[in-house]
Amino acid sequence: MSRVRGLLFVLLFGAAQFNAQNLSFVTCPIVRDTKTVPCWLAEYKGETYYLGNQGGVAQDFYPPQLNHEVLVEGVVAEGPRVCGGIPLRTVKTSVFLEINRACNTILPAEDAIEAPQSPPRPPIGDAASWVRSDGPADSTLYFDFDNDFLSLHTATTVQRLAQYFQQSKASEIRIAAFRGSSKLSNGDVLTEQRDIAAARAAKVRDILVGLGVPSTALKVQVVTDVRTPDGINDPWGRKVTLSVKP
Amino acid sequence: MKKLGGIVSSLLCLAGLGGLVTPAQVSQPQFQWFQAGSGVELSRELTFANASGRLGILNADGPVNTKGHPFFEPLGVNGRACVTCHQPSNAMSLAVDTIRERWRATNGKDPLFAGIDGSDNPSLPQDLETSHSLLLNRGLFRVGLPWPPAQNSTPEFTLEVVGDPTGVNRDPVWGLKSAKPTVSVFRRPRPAANLKYVLAPDNGPFNVKLGVLLDKDPATGKPVSMNMMADARATTLATQAESAYRDHQEGKGQLRSDQVDRIIAFESQVYAAQVFDNGAKDLVEAGGPGGLGPLNLLREAAGVLNTPAKPVFLTFDAWKASTEFRRSVARGNELFLNRTFWVKDVAHINSIGLGNPAKRACAVCHNAVMSGMDRAPGWVDLGTTNYPTWTEPKTWNEAGELPVFKLSCRADARPHPYLGRVIYTSDPGRALVTGKCADIGAITMGQFRGLAARAPYFANGSARNLRELVDYYDRRFDMRLTTQEKEDLINFLGVL
Repeated sequence: MSRVRGLLFVLLFGAAQFNAQNLSFVTCPIVRDTKTVPCWLAEYKGETYYLGNQGGVAQDFYPPQLNHEVLVEGVVAEGPRVCGGIPLRTVKTSVFLEINRACNTILPAEDAIEAPQSPPRPPIGDAASWVRSDGPADSTLYFDFDNDFLSLHTATTVQRLAQYFQQSKASEIRIAAFRGSSKLSNGDVLTEQRDIAAARAAKVRDILVGLGVPSTALKVQVVTDVRTPDGINDPWGRKVTLSVKP
Repeated sequence: MKKLGGIVSSLLCLAGLGGLVTPAQVSQPQFQWFQAGSGVELSRELTFANASGRLGILNADGPVNTKGHPFFEPLGVNGRACVTCHQPSNAMSLAVDTIRERWRATNGKDPLFAGIDGSDNPSLPQDLETSHSLLLNRGLFRVGLPWPPAQNSTPEFTLEVVGDPTGVNRDPVWGLKSAKPTVSVFRRPRPAANLKYVLAPDNGPFNVKLGVLLDKDPATGKPVSMNMMADARATTLATQAESAYRDHQEGKGQLRSDQVDRIIAFESQVYAAQVFDNGAKDLVEAGGPGGLGPLNLLREAAGVLNTPAKPVFLTFDAWKASTEFRRSVARGNELFLNRTFWVKDVAHINSIGLGNPAKRACAVCHNAVMSGMDRAPGWVDLGTTNYPTWTEPKTWNEAGELPVFKLSCRADARPHPYLGRVIYTSDPGRALVTGKCADIGAITMGQFRGLAARAPYFANGSARNLRELVDYYDRRFDMRLTTQEKEDLINFLGVL
């Protein structure tokens, strides 16, 4: 009887997993050594997911950190396991600021587990996790949860817009900074701290001014209201939009 | 004017070989200690003996007339000049052996031992050797910095003195609660040579580690490397010269602009590197490794990032089938470039998007060609100053040599990424300038050149020799280096 119940659970859980392609959870990251580069994993509900390989700051994927929990937001990808985990695609990992020394798992290399080939570096300023550009005058910068750090890609995009502003002799750059929230797969909702949108706006503004854009040409809007999270599009709500106006 | 080293110039001219003259052909000058204000002329090329061999100095612009030169003449009130702490024989830095010899030769009367920063505490009796213990034992000068920082009047952390072996941080005149609140830390002088490599900014306007703009040279408006000082508080040679004149020479007012220009001109053309090693022999012979010796430092371009095509110190292939010592150096270079280990909990390395830990080799962080520094701003919390990885592993009942501070971060501040919100440190490093918790213990990595001439190492002088330096890394990152690997790394570092 219990075997039947167990089978039923597996079928139900499996079906639920099949339908729920988006995953969002907070966990301790795991690093696995390999013969080549380490790869990063995360466990959720007894399953192991592959997040990405160790890389450099020019890569799209920035690995998480031991000694810190991480918010993982991604889409379950089809295909075989990678580095021992189910691969997540368009995965965003946000390292939590506070220390958790329980997050300390380094798995040793195994003969049968290899890290995949790392994806080619995207052109600087054109990494999908960090930036979306809609023509030379409009860009959206994305941020990790509760973080105002501008990656190499986002910072370079700001520089590109400053150059466009100067070359096109534009009159204004509109900056709109947002904070977001994330609906976890377990139903919990995480909301970014209230002042993070202002911090993001200030960072971008300082760079533009430092690159020679007159502060009088900057129109800054800080949006502290939070869009209702859906567990699908949440990483794209933590953003700053930039628009160069003639 | 004396022309010590003139023989060198003559030899160079006679041979017609310029910088290709081998060390065996170059006479050594008659001084190991350059006395401030002595007026000695410096030849274009000089060599100085040290325990590992000989250091070469190259004045690329030709012989230097030091008489009346602001780098070599005392400008302040205490008799020191720039050269006092940036000695040619010590790769334009200052070795602890030189300091001890100076104490012995002058009975502690040399301006080097000026109470302002050449003693553990200016309030101590200055004629006692014990009052200069940090300088004599570890080559450390006192660096007094305002608290709160000049750049940030509302730092993210409070600072409490919990250990003060020199007494200076609790001193009523010089300490944290004095009329001019000051935090004193103790640091080594950095080499004033090979500076084109130190000053070359990263590509682009950004500090990629922080996602902000690099500081700018106030005179030119151009980005600066921020790699010159241990805490990057001065970022140009001009601002550094002014602060050194004020803080180390106890100068009044400001330097004249022509003095600043001459100091910068001298510092910008002087190169220092080992040219002869007792084990490897001639380091600059034709057909040898292309990265050794001061002439190669002059020839190579600055601001170049380590790549397989252009490794940090170029190739040592010529030595892979040579004497055992040279093969050891070549192996050490390979280890430096390729031997991976888990780099863990290093703020401003692991925390910048590389992941923690990151399985990397030395050259990933020490990535600037010819210098071994970081091409990006290189202040990182390696761990040498912060508990528990600091270099001062004393127990409760042992007296330490360095001060200990307890730093407590505000609840609304971003904590130190690996040490949290309460941190014990012997030197908060960059955080004493920025007031940021994330910068606590972050010290700018130094260049690798002329190491054999300027022990001890690390900014706090804790590694008395290259073995202790390698041992620290081995412990800190659980590298599990074999005895042979350690020896190879030491031999490699020693020839730079």
